[in-house]
Amino acid sequence: MVLASSFVAVALILCMATVLALFGVTHVSMSGAEAIERDGLAPGMHAPVWSLVDSADRVVRSPPRTPLQLIMFTDHSLKAFPSVVDGLREVMAQERLEIVVLTRRRNELAEPVLRTIGLDGISVLTGSPSLYAAYNVRVTPFAIFVDSAGRVRASSLVNEAWQVTKLLQLADLPLEPENLAPRSRFWRRPAGAGV
Amino acid sequence: MDVPVLCAKTALACLLIVAGGAKLSDPASFASTVRLFIPLRVSWPLLSAIAVGVSLGELAVGLASLTLPAIMALNALVFAIACTFVAVSAIGYAFYRGRSCRCFGALSQRKFDAASVLRSVVIAGIAAVALAHVSAAARQLDTTAQVLLFAAAGLLAVVAFTAARARGAGSRPEVVTR
Repeated sequence: MVLASSFVAVALILCMATVLALFGVTHVSMSGAEAIERDGLAPGMHAPVWSLVDSADRVVRSPPRTPLQLIMFTDHSLKAFPSVVDGLREVMAQERLEIVVLTRRRNELAEPVLRTIGLDGISVLTGSPSLYAAYNVRVTPFAIFVDSAGRVRASSLVNEAWQVTKLLQLADLPLEPENLAPRSRFWRRPAGAGV
Repeated sequence: MDVPVLCAKTALACLLIVAGGAKLSDPASFASTVRLFIPLRVSWPLLSAIAVGVSLGELAVGLASLTLPAIMALNALVFAIACTFVAVSAIGYAFYRGRSCRCFGALSQRKFDAASVLRSVVIAGIAAVALAHVSAAARQLDTTAQVLLFAAAGLLAVVAFTAARARGAGSRPEVVTR
């Protein structure tokens, strides 16, 4: 009986120790620099191809017809990070750049808010959670630059104006050959994405 | 003699539960490993079904081994599974060296290499220790203890599943949509 109790005790301790180890491993992998680098898509990778209709019935595509497209994943974060709005205002004058704002849920107030803060004319699109997952975006505001060939040129979490402008500079850098990954054989259309 | 045997048995059960739970979080990637070991052309749905079956099998054997120590046949089954690990890692080392084995889903980035063969042999050795005879008194658990162990094993499986899913979410190599 004593041995049976010992078995139960050892088993429970081992189970709990394994649970704690798993918590530790996951916490380290989700909170360190490595985790931040894992968000978004690396320069040179093929970005998801989609087409969505905005609230003004304009069809927005990615890859864009313009040389560069800035996809800003925001949700409610633009109100929380006004300096990112300043960054968008600085880059939106560039004709070669198309800016689109992607939110997880349809928000009727998004465009009036953008108009109020001086970003009218920017398409606000509702992206499905799977589209967010396809871009590997978990936290917002997150900026991804995609070129007309559908390659990711730069991507990062942003919360300051200078980060938006710096990312645009990085997006202009030529892609390194080792980053030009071949297109994957396993293509998937995210649920909720358009045509 | 009973204590080391029971410890070995518990450790192997935990290993199987974690491996099964973690693999279940991403059956598609484990299916790509399964494909390496099936010489015939098999459709992806069937490969996924095999991957899910293997993961559920590991999970079930681990749960049963932990909560029902009185059933000695489970020790032999665990030993057979451990021998399969040795065979798989040896074949992987011979033919697919450097490829990810996905033994623990996204929890580990282990590859088929010499160390993986050695690890499998050590696991098989521990499974052999767990085969040793244990007194009947040490194997008899009352219902409360079994329920407690089942709950702990269930928690372990859920945590392994969740941790593997969380780790795997940001590490997909290339997701392209059309």
